Amino acid sequence: MNISPTEAEEALAAIQAMAQKTRKSIASSGAYIFLIITGIIWLVGFLSTQFLTGAIVVYIWVGMSLAGSALSILLGSRTGRRVRSASANATARRAGFFWLFLVFFAVAVIAVARPTDGKQVTMLIILFIMLGQLAMGLLLSFSSTWWALPITALALVGYFLLPGIFYLWMAILGGGGMIVLGLYIRLRW
Amino acid sequence: MAELNETIHQPVRLRVMAALVTLEAGNEVDFTYLRDLLQVTDGNLGAHLRKLEEAGYIAVNKTFVERKPHTYVSATETGRRVFREHVSALEKILKGK
Repeated sequence: MNISPTEAEEALAAIQAMAQKTRKSIASSGAYIFLIITGIIWLVGFLSTQFLTGAIVVYIWVGMSLAGSALSILLGSRTGRRVRSASANATARRAGFFWLFLVFFAVAVIAVARPTDGKQVTMLIILFIMLGQLAMGLLLSFSSTWWALPITALALVGYFLLPGIFYLWMAILGGGGMIVLGLYIRLRW
Repeated sequence: MAELNETIHQPVRLRVMAALVTLEAGNEVDFTYLRDLLQVTDGNLGAHLRKLEEAGYIAVNKTFVERKPHTYVSATETGRRVFREHVSALEKILKGK
């Protein structure tokens, strides 16, 4: 079988493009679901924290978080069926334990630091969630988890520079940003 | 010296193999996911997968997930080695340009 150098070049380009598309597709398959669901929870939760008072805010956060977790698990397990791996169960178990320990450490830090207001508690929770997200990206090769860094930067800017509208800031830029990014990954990647 | 492989060089099969060898060894991909990734029809992909399976380059695993039939595809060790040789042969042709 003989082909010209131009044909060889085209074949190599096709191989490279397909490999890149596959890597991106696998990396983004779960990320966009998590981003959109978390974005909706943050948008509704932080808007209610900014504009409502009393126990209703807690109910909204708890209700949205529980529904979001259930939806993430359901949709995540469906997406996970696309690529099957012998080591997937063990990895999922380790990731589950990691998040469990992270929650324990977050609760411990909040208990020790005893933050004086809701914004400090919120900021600490955001930092722990984003740290967990980054760790997942670095350890499990989920290359589309880089978004945790800009979200953390946005949260810190809102906390230190715009304390009066911190929750509104987090709702629109944090929650809204995650929804837009999730849709972008789903539709354009 | 590595030689070009006619079975693999066909454009759709080349892309199928490129996608499958990108996965970690031991991982398998769902048929519909592969079809969407390659943007081909069921029949077209099925025909090319049969050729690759007959050559021993891929393994096709038909199974049930929650009572629904699913077909998973993966590159075999032979398939990975032959694909590497094919890429190496393409690079040599390009260098001799």
